[in-house]
Amino acid sequence: MTEVWALAALWLGLALLATLIAIWLRISTALSEIVVGTVAQLVIGAFVGIQALGAKAPWITFLSGTGAIVLTFLAGAELDPTVFRAKWKEASWLGLMAFVAPFLGCTALAHYVLHWSAQASWIAGIALSTTSVAVVYAVMLEFGLNKTEFGKTLLAACFINDLGTVLALGFIFAPFTVRTLVFGVSAVVLFGILPWVTSHFFKKYGGRVSELEAKYLLFLLFGFGALASWADSEAVLPAYIIGMVLAGTVGKDHVLIRRLRTMTFGLLTPFYFIRAGSFVSIASLLAAPFVILALLLGKMATKIAAVLPTARKLGYARQESLYTTMMMSTGLTFGTISALFGLSHGIIDQAQYSYLVATVIGSAVIPTVIGNAYFLPRHLIPALAEPEEPAAAGQPAATER
Amino acid sequence: MIKKILVAFDGSESSRHAFDLASELAFHFKAKLLLLAVVRLPEPTTSMELGAVLDDAKEHYAKELEELRDRTSPRAIDFTALVEVGHPAEHIVAMAEREGCELIVMGRRGRTSVGRFVLGSTSERVMRYAHCAVTVVK
Repeated sequence: MTEVWALAALWLGLALLATLIAIWLRISTALSEIVVGTVAQLVIGAFVGIQALGAKAPWITFLSGTGAIVLTFLAGAELDPTVFRAKWKEASWLGLMAFVAPFLGCTALAHYVLHWSAQASWIAGIALSTTSVAVVYAVMLEFGLNKTEFGKTLLAACFINDLGTVLALGFIFAPFTVRTLVFGVSAVVLFGILPWVTSHFFKKYGGRVSELEAKYLLFLLFGFGALASWADSEAVLPAYIIGMVLAGTVGKDHVLIRRLRTMTFGLLTPFYFIRAGSFVSIASLLAAPFVILALLLGKMATKIAAVLPTARKLGYARQESLYTTMMMSTGLTFGTISALFGLSHGIIDQAQYSYLVATVIGSAVIPTVIGNAYFLPRHLIPALAEPEEPAAAGQPAATER
Repeated sequence: MIKKILVAFDGSESSRHAFDLASELAFHFKAKLLLLAVVRLPEPTTSMELGAVLDDAKEHYAKELEELRDRTSPRAIDFTALVEVGHPAEHIVAMAEREGCELIVMGRRGRTSVGRFVLGSTSERVMRYAHCAVTVVK
């Protein structure tokens, strides 16, 4: 056991260091953990041995996988069902186009320009088709656009975009056997009854110190993860959809979400992001920086080609359309999840994984900067025209009088 | 004559001193006191971290602002508090201009020169870009 405790201490030490760096530099903990993981693997690998960090140890793989599943679930649970119901048509069009074009375009780019294998190219397409709901929401909050119809539609579209990504990840490499059918049918049935069952179950037994809700949700996530895995699909697929279908029940339970966040943030995601970073090869990145540039340009160009005309067709003005396009070109969590899926299943090699993770990180920053600098639809920003509304639950970006 | 004062508040010791000075000035000039707290989000963020930061900020500022309001009420100062999300310097400058404030009062965090070089200083940025007078309290 000594080795396990020592390894656990090392990983939590790295997580602590990453958190301190994130605080000092005001960057996200996830980004900091990825970078710390990369540097730690490089340094520890050089001085102690390439296996010393133990990124492939089964228990680290389990914690990391659980981190990805719970992170995905929480991302799905952020969906606002009321807004989605009101805006589903526009949001679906935007989200679908924002997924399909980069998915196909980046796959083609990886295959025909970078000469990646067909399967590796599909992973590139999936990893670069994503959008980051969190990055978009953060920008919306900053400018008060989250309260506008425009902002709400854009956020709903981001969920559709990411749903496309997880569906692709879950099914593109599935063999489509009887198992796939069993998984698909049982998932549809269970997702249909889950909101009702969950709400009644929590009402009857919830609110106790035994953390029944957290155990119930983990049971669901692991159970569906096992079913997806049995069908040769991917565990994050049901996790995201469970998050979305429970957004109206679990997603509204602020206390429960905070408890889940504490567990995930404190223990699970450090293992996920540090592990994801530890597989990044700095040597590969330095050897071919133009691959990253090509992938990033590919992602942005395909997003522009699809989202811009769709937004214009939906009646958005030029500025709003351009801004929507830039916001939907972002990506972080699902991009790294897709790339790590490819690496852990032997579909892409370490160099390809490194290019994808670097591109995903770049796409979380560059489109946001361009969008805010050149295409921000200032006429829609309510804060400049009138005082903000009183603070609503979960929204501190508000006026308190 | 000062009619409107903006005080930038982040809960730090120096921003409390800034608040004390600003409320003294507001009382003296019978000016309106506008408090702005800006929640800075990590970049690029994830859904979970975003939610956690926002929840923490909401709780933190609810408590802080309640206390500040209690301190201003005996002196009948016209006091308004706002919490926004974004980059502090940009929001402070923009709000001062939008609200027509004649004075911005803010604290200084006392970063090391390395910290200032890497992250910049909010007070320096505000002093550079504000349309009105800026008082920085140590």
